[in-house]
Amino acid sequence: MKFINSLNYSLKKYGFLMQQLVSRDFKVKYKRSVLGVAWSLLYPVLTMAVMAVIFSNVFKFTTPGVSYLAYLLTGLTYFNYFSEASNLSMSTVVANFSLINKVYIPKYIFPLTKCLFVGINFLLTLIPLYAVILLTGTGLCWQHVFLPYSFICLFMFTLGMGFFLATVAVFLRDMFYIYGIVLTLWTYLTPIMYDISIITNPILQFCLKLNPMYHYINFARTIILYHNTPTGFQFIVCGLSALVVLLVGTVVFKKNQDKFIYYI
Amino acid sequence: MEDIMVKAENVSMRFNLGIDKGFSLKQGFVDLFNPEKRQQKKALNEFWALTDVSFEVKRGEVVGLIGSNGAGKSTLLKIVAGVLKPTKGGISSYGNICPMIELGAGFDMDLTARENIFLNGAVMGYSRAFIESKFDEIVDFSELHDFLEVPVRNFSSGMVARLAFSVATIVDPEILIVDEILSVGDLAFQAKSEEKMLSMIKGGTTVLYVSHSVESIKKLSDRVIWLDHGHVLACGNAEEICNNYVNHLLKQS
Repeated sequence: MKFINSLNYSLKKYGFLMQQLVSRDFKVKYKRSVLGVAWSLLYPVLTMAVMAVIFSNVFKFTTPGVSYLAYLLTGLTYFNYFSEASNLSMSTVVANFSLINKVYIPKYIFPLTKCLFVGINFLLTLIPLYAVILLTGTGLCWQHVFLPYSFICLFMFTLGMGFFLATVAVFLRDMFYIYGIVLTLWTYLTPIMYDISIITNPILQFCLKLNPMYHYINFARTIILYHNTPTGFQFIVCGLSALVVLLVGTVVFKKNQDKFIYYI
Repeated sequence: MEDIMVKAENVSMRFNLGIDKGFSLKQGFVDLFNPEKRQQKKALNEFWALTDVSFEVKRGEVVGLIGSNGAGKSTLLKIVAGVLKPTKGGISSYGNICPMIELGAGFDMDLTARENIFLNGAVMGYSRAFIESKFDEIVDFSELHDFLEVPVRNFSSGMVARLAFSVATIVDPEILIVDEILSVGDLAFQAKSEEKMLSMIKGGTTVLYVSHSVESIKKLSDRVIWLDHGHVLACGNAEEICNNYVNHLLKQS
């Protein structure tokens, strides 16, 4: 109860600041480009188109029974959110040093606003995703009402990672390079462009399934591609992994936030 | 009994000077075999910006801080503002604080003046309704009517300073923390901003004020704290301490 109260208080107090920071990100990002906010939509569409062409035509990946394009796009939409938001969150504390050094602002605001800002972009990329779902004849079903659950899990997981990375990056600048490589590896280890069943080694397959991103994407695919209701197990794995990562990230961040100012 | 607005108890602040050079893989490895040197180095890198500083500020009091460069004045202000956490001791403040330590926190050069007023206001902790109601006042004071839609990147530094000053001084805080920022802009604006600062300081709010101008400290403060190398040398009557301070400086030179 006390926690809810204090959360409510800080939301009231810093809500306007967060809104301003998110809108600044938006304005600055598109201010000097000709197409402006349209890039929010166009950029993911074009990158996905490139991936789709390469993987379905050059590498001839297919997914039996369902449209490969819809399959690929579902994975990409989720993973792009994660990689962009976690990357931005990581650098945000260091980048906002001039603010942290001048006025008191709760520092959790910085990763949080980045995750929200990319979240808006994520919601926009749902438009091309749904367009593909309709155009490829994948079709809709009532189970789509469960999708927001996976958005929330994805958000919590990403925020937790963001907190953790932001903390590490303050003390260890090498993290920017390390994480870039980790992220590349992570992209390929997550079944985004291939189906996990092509990995025949059972141990390796089990390892790939330890990746929470796999579960969020799989959750979405169960609904979007196969028109099934995710099993109770899927619900629990997604929710639990997101909660644990968020909790760990928050604790690490909170424990170290007072030391940030000496290292940046 | 008078209300206490700010209370500092045995505040000490340690900085680690060599922090960005201190850790590299090679040096860490070399030091691993030489624990004595490691200790030495640690002690060498440590710097106590403040040691055992205690004071109280009562409601409506104007307290001036004097001391030479590096005495710890700005560090103290930052601790009161909550930007820094003291290494030892504790600080408590009662009431909303307006920290005018450095102006223009959070200005984004790519945004227009109008957008920056809102952003900077939000950073200072104002609400949207408050900024909207004071918007005209801010613009009037800064005299930048014609440049509201211009990105701040195209402003002269004087114009940026004027805008920042106007946003910062729009509040009626319960505790005002001022770090010598009176002199911004051209002569006319300097006079205007000084007048504004005076009216804020004299408006009955509680003020912590840092300046190198002994004259203005004498004129404004009820009480003065003299800091030297992180220690409180003296604390009390403004006139007396300022005179001692000036004599001390004269003796040194």
